[in-house]
Amino acid sequence: MNAPVRRIVWALLAGFLALILATTWIQAVAGPGYRDDPRNPRLSAWRVGRERGAIITDDAVVAGHSDPNPEDPQTFTRVYPTVDRYAHTVGYVSVLFGSRGLERARESDLVSHRDSTISGVLNAVLGGDPRPRGLRLTFDDELQQAAVEALDGSRGSIIALDPTTGAVLASVSTPGFDPNSLVGSDAGPAGKALEEDPGLPLLHRTIAVTYPPGSTFKVVTTAAALETGIAGPATEFPDPEALELPGTSATIHNYDDGLCGDGESVTLTEAFVRSCNTTFAALGMQVGAEALTETAEAFGFNQEIPYDLPVLVSSMPEAADFSDDPAATAQNSLGQRDVRSTPIQMALVAAAVANDGNIMIPYVVGDVFTHDGKIESETEPTLWRRAISPASAAILSDLMEQVVLSGTGRNAAVPDVRVAGKTGTAEVTGSSPHVWFIGFAPVDPEPGERQIALAIVLEDGGPAGETASGGSVAAPIAAKLFEAYLK
Amino acid sequence: MTRNTEAVFILAGTVLASVGVAMVEFAGGGWLDANVALTFVSFALAFGSLHVSFRLWAPNANPLILPIATFLAAIGSIEVFRLDPELAALQRWWLVLAGVAGAVVVWLLRNSGVAVLRRYRYLFLAAAIVLLLLPLLPNAWPIHGATVNGSRLWVRIDLPFAVRAVSFQPGELAKVFLTIFLASYLADRSEAMSTVSRKVGPFSVPEPRHLGPVIVAAGAAFVVLVYQRDLGASMLLFGLFIGMLYAATGRGFYLGTGLVLTAAAGAAAYTMFSHVQTRISAWIDPFADYTGAGYQTAQGLFAMGSGSLTGSGLGLGRPDLIPAAATDFMFAAVAEELGLAGSVAIITAYAFLVAVGFGIALRSRDRFRKYLAAGLTILIGLQSFLIIAGIVRLLPLTGITLPFMSYGGSSLLASALIAALLGRISHEERT
Repeated sequence: MNAPVRRIVWALLAGFLALILATTWIQAVAGPGYRDDPRNPRLSAWRVGRERGAIITDDAVVAGHSDPNPEDPQTFTRVYPTVDRYAHTVGYVSVLFGSRGLERARESDLVSHRDSTISGVLNAVLGGDPRPRGLRLTFDDELQQAAVEALDGSRGSIIALDPTTGAVLASVSTPGFDPNSLVGSDAGPAGKALEEDPGLPLLHRTIAVTYPPGSTFKVVTTAAALETGIAGPATEFPDPEALELPGTSATIHNYDDGLCGDGESVTLTEAFVRSCNTTFAALGMQVGAEALTETAEAFGFNQEIPYDLPVLVSSMPEAADFSDDPAATAQNSLGQRDVRSTPIQMALVAAAVANDGNIMIPYVVGDVFTHDGKIESETEPTLWRRAISPASAAILSDLMEQVVLSGTGRNAAVPDVRVAGKTGTAEVTGSSPHVWFIGFAPVDPEPGERQIALAIVLEDGGPAGETASGGSVAAPIAAKLFEAYLK
Repeated sequence: MTRNTEAVFILAGTVLASVGVAMVEFAGGGWLDANVALTFVSFALAFGSLHVSFRLWAPNANPLILPIATFLAAIGSIEVFRLDPELAALQRWWLVLAGVAGAVVVWLLRNSGVAVLRRYRYLFLAAAIVLLLLPLLPNAWPIHGATVNGSRLWVRIDLPFAVRAVSFQPGELAKVFLTIFLASYLADRSEAMSTVSRKVGPFSVPEPRHLGPVIVAAGAAFVVLVYQRDLGASMLLFGLFIGMLYAATGRGFYLGTGLVLTAAAGAAAYTMFSHVQTRISAWIDPFADYTGAGYQTAQGLFAMGSGSLTGSGLGLGRPDLIPAAATDFMFAAVAEELGLAGSVAIITAYAFLVAVGFGIALRSRDRFRKYLAAGLTILIGLQSFLIIAGIVRLLPLTGITLPFMSYGGSSLLASALIAALLGRISHEERT
């Protein structure tokens, strides 16, 4: 009389086996699909509702913090008190729009480690602090504010860093946006408006956009000439009104369509200070594609710049692609044609000149601190690459200082500060030029004195439109920033 | 010796529950508080009472029943606490009440054994039917039914002095009473039912007089439950009847009839009730009507998928996003926070409990005890199977609780009674 009972046992146990198989299917095989389904409310609710650490600037201005919700103190609301000032670097966490910036890149530091996983519990038992970490950024809030004000709503960006350490002091991309408007589950319309805005306010222009660097690239061309020994500051070049490009009917003119010097000859120094295209096109063809590309790559072109956020690679064409095309070589050596650079890359070019030819790894997270405010880990300034020799750097530094003293960069001058820089006016077909300024100050700082290198770009000429030049629009902004930072 | 082993395991389960509650508090940003101690005390009282009653009045009871029950209840109450600490405070009371009630049952049966239940079989039948009918009482009465989520299976008692109405689900208790009745009835008739038969065509059909009361009981229960729109309990009771008939007679006729009847009833319910239709379509594709009928099933799938292999960790998932997570969808909530590891452990624990229960039935020399043990085990096994199968989409979703784990006093009480009865039956076989 037990046989039927036995059959029921087997039937039920088979049923349980089927449950295990079905559960395994759902959790182990189909699991990621359900987990990552956009309709899964967990994804965003979890990320947004957890307590996250504070993000503060070097001078302790809070750029992001979490407030416990009054009705449910276990969930938190992310608040960005600085509104749009650090929006691109700090980023946001949003229920509807995912996360960006440091909120995304440093999520593992910023979220609580308080969990019931074995490692979480072990960590707690061993006295580890499960509370979220905060980030202290290397930003100088006064400088950042000055940069926001200087850009004054124009589309463009400014990035400033300490050339000796790589610490980023300011990074502004305009137009900006208010990350607070993207946080909540009611942010749909605000987010859609930002995504569709023709000014692309969500674009992080300092690191995620490349522009033709224009004449600021002459620093690289000059470096190639110095490193290869093809020319020195006193080397003389002919001074034509226009330079005919071999193999084409095209000619290279100077910015004002005039002569560079007296019409006879001009030194490299004079040509650099006045940013003469005729001279640099000739110099570029002498230097050749090999040395141009090699030097650009020594400065970081064609490479991923190591940074706390992903940086778009700045591009210099392969030497083989233009070595037998003197016209292309000439145009590339002027920072036009196929050369494209992010603002951070050109800031690193200026920083290399300031720092004896060495480029430090740029960083914005200065240290990670615990809930109690103790520093848990600190970013050590690290050499990224030796771009050029100290001797070449010294010559370039001198050339760039003269640009500000008596050349195209006069508007960047600051009383009693030795400012060095290079302007750029990158022609763009069909619209006003992008105007550039790269530079640093002070030249040869006293021990303990702080130094700043920067790159400024205004798209489509900024407020000046088609009459804009790097010297007239970007250089005055540099002066304001040098003043703000160096007092 | 066995009793000491049992005590150690119960203690382990009690510690598990307390540590789990502590983990949840910790994960939520809190620190240890009275909840941890109260959880420990309630588990110690509930399962301690059962354990002591076994020690005193059923010393040879199978020592595996209570440890498995403690384990399941521990995981369940941790998750209830995680979902709603206030609900967990009530659940602690229910747990103690259920444990003490189970112990009282063991005490009541101390001299005469479970055999005494046979004498009152029609009383149990009547009680079961009354209990099943209770939710149909009109709303105006002090004791009245209540419709929750479209099913009328709750009873509320409005006490003038009580802060809140006392509610319970009488169906939970009714199914235990019905099992007692069926076991008793079948113990008397099974021999006749399995031997005496008529030939109708190629089929050998039992005498109608043997079958009458069983069909009446089943039919009544079924009609009531369909009227109350409780698909899960209908399937559960139906499975119980068929399973017990088959266990008692060993005749495929009952299984075949049962399957045909289930299919017919299912088809009838499908054409008659729109809520059955939406259940079926939500089963076939929960995402077709994601915001409507499929929402709960879809949320369960999201929860389980998010839990993945090892789970989010206690207190760190979002099972609160699943509708009815503390009751019907308890399994999905645990699967999210403990992962596949946790869900397989739970299914295995139920399978283990079912194996223990049937082991008791197989060893029973007495028909009544055998059928009762088998019936009670079918109840636990089928109920846990049906609700989990609904959540993992093996079967259409049926709204029933997970024994020992879900929030709910009635459910816990029924589960504790089943544990007490199984313990007592196993004791009687070994003495």
